[in-house]
Amino acid sequence: MSAQTVELDRQEAEPIQAEETASSARRRVTPGRLAGLVGLAAMIAAPLPFGDYGLFIGQFALVYAILGLSIVVVTGYAGMLSLMTYSFAGIGAVVTAAAMSSWDFPFWMSVFIAAAATVPVAVFVGMVSVRLKGLYLAIATLTLSTALGETFFKWDAAMGGRAGWLVEKPAVGPIDLASEAAFYVVLLGVVALLVWMIGGLRTSRLGRAMLAVRNNELEAQALGINPYRTKLSAFVYGGMIAGVGGSFLALLLTNVTREAFQSPQVEVTSILLVSLVVIGGMNRAIGAVLGAVALVAQQQVFQGAEALFSVFGLYAAVLLILFLRLHPGGIVQLGQSLAHLTRVRPALGIGITSAILLFNIGGGYLIVRYLS
Amino acid sequence: MALLRTRDITLHFGGIAALSEVDITIEEKEIVGLLGPNGAGKSTLFNVITGYLKPDFGRVLLQEDDVSRFLPYERVRAGIGRTFQHVKLFRDLTVYENLLVAQHRHLSAGGFAAMFRTPGWRRDEKEARERAARILELVDLGPWKDRKPLEISYGTTRFLELACVLSLEPKILLLDEPASGIQQKEVEALGPMLKRIRDDTGCAILLIEHDMGLLLNSSERIYALDLGKIITEGTPTEVVHDDRVLSSYLGRTRSGSRATA
Repeated sequence: MSAQTVELDRQEAEPIQAEETASSARRRVTPGRLAGLVGLAAMIAAPLPFGDYGLFIGQFALVYAILGLSIVVVTGYAGMLSLMTYSFAGIGAVVTAAAMSSWDFPFWMSVFIAAAATVPVAVFVGMVSVRLKGLYLAIATLTLSTALGETFFKWDAAMGGRAGWLVEKPAVGPIDLASEAAFYVVLLGVVALLVWMIGGLRTSRLGRAMLAVRNNELEAQALGINPYRTKLSAFVYGGMIAGVGGSFLALLLTNVTREAFQSPQVEVTSILLVSLVVIGGMNRAIGAVLGAVALVAQQQVFQGAEALFSVFGLYAAVLLILFLRLHPGGIVQLGQSLAHLTRVRPALGIGITSAILLFNIGGGYLIVRYLS
Repeated sequence: MALLRTRDITLHFGGIAALSEVDITIEEKEIVGLLGPNGAGKSTLFNVITGYLKPDFGRVLLQEDDVSRFLPYERVRAGIGRTFQHVKLFRDLTVYENLLVAQHRHLSAGGFAAMFRTPGWRRDEKEARERAARILELVDLGPWKDRKPLEISYGTTRFLELACVLSLEPKILLLDEPASGIQQKEVEALGPMLKRIRDDTGCAILLIEHDMGLLLNSSERIYALDLGKIITEGTPTEVVHDDRVLSSYLGRTRSGSRATA
């Protein structure tokens, strides 16, 4: 965890301008873009061969991606290591479940209510922790997360009694979310929309203020930026995104119970979410998606091979630390380096990219096929 | 009406008086120097004026408005711009991106506007790009546009920092040793540049500088500070011939010979 906080300051700078160059470049089809699109299509299609179970896992990854996007704003853009994302998701999930079950609100409206419900909590958390830095902030948010588990998530009226809320996947307009495929596609749309939105946030007054505050608070103030308000905004936007993620989490879980949002599950899940964003690349919205896919895929591969998991756990941890030392921008940065290498030395770039893909996909296949 | 006035600024660090009853006045479009040996309290005074340090008592008036309770970013918005003794800037961002950040106070679109790419956000971004491009041109940093601060010379980062602060369109510019750590050639360019900045933008400048040539040539008036007190005030010639200044500062350093040369 301390390694991650150190990395916060060492992110690769990404273009935060270049809206005009981006739009003119967007029209060109380069081999790199084509490869990216093929990769994206492959990722989207990956759950299909595994039927409904595959789609469920895909949905799971996408919900995690939404929660990861919240971390991109709070930790990636604004540089605050907050470890209570899953608590915000819990608030979103509970509010959605309550709104749908007891008040008979339509799902789409519940999503907005869930997002709104996180705002007062985010403001409170922001106000008490906005002057804390690094690990102190992490500890404070962890504590608040535990506290919420002992108060709000223990409150019978909010939690729908001991058994929790039962949520049925509703129909939104003509789309019946009870179909696994339909829910998967809707989630894909939501994630795509959020990636687009959070990408836009980066290229804006507020987004640049967040990057400035992450870099150097004193200098940010010297340029007329209010650091407290900027950090508070990051918490509020992050909270709302996590709240939206929580709405979909409620549908995914179908049974929203208190245990998931209490100690120790809630802290573990929040830390897991931060790690997946770090792996994916927290400086870019797409990093959250890549991280979520990588994490869920890894979980699936090792699920049946528990003996192996304990052996490989250490190996994976060492690999992760090395990876982050060399590529603090995560998978996103790795992709950028490979793309650059391919431009300069095409054969070498394509060779290394293929080797990495083959090692991961092939290795995963072998483990699932022979070791589980 | 004076542009900036400090009244009775007093600040103690523990038992040491870093500043005692400092009164300075800066008129519109004036270039004023702040002279004094290390530890005299020059940077401390800057930090008090810009709100980074809270004085024990005393007030800071900008155009007769009391800004003593303003936070640093609020004073920037009121018109007090500053650079730091050690260049700060945003190391993860490129030169151009640093300038974009500096356009903050000229923009208004909120986070939601950006997320949904509203026309208001579009106008905002266009404005930011145009302003940044203009300033890039003005300070001749075009060739370093896509470099990060650590990849360019220290002198160039000094100019970038100046460019960022100028983007704020301050009424008064506080420069803390702009010539420190930069090449002699760049120092020589700095004097005329300060005058040009004043003439073009109409802002006043308060300057801390250890390079005597630069300080004496650019300043129209100088305050001499020692041990947290203003010891004298006057034109550069008057100040360097003042006995108290000679004994407190020039007498003890070798730059005295350069100053009188």
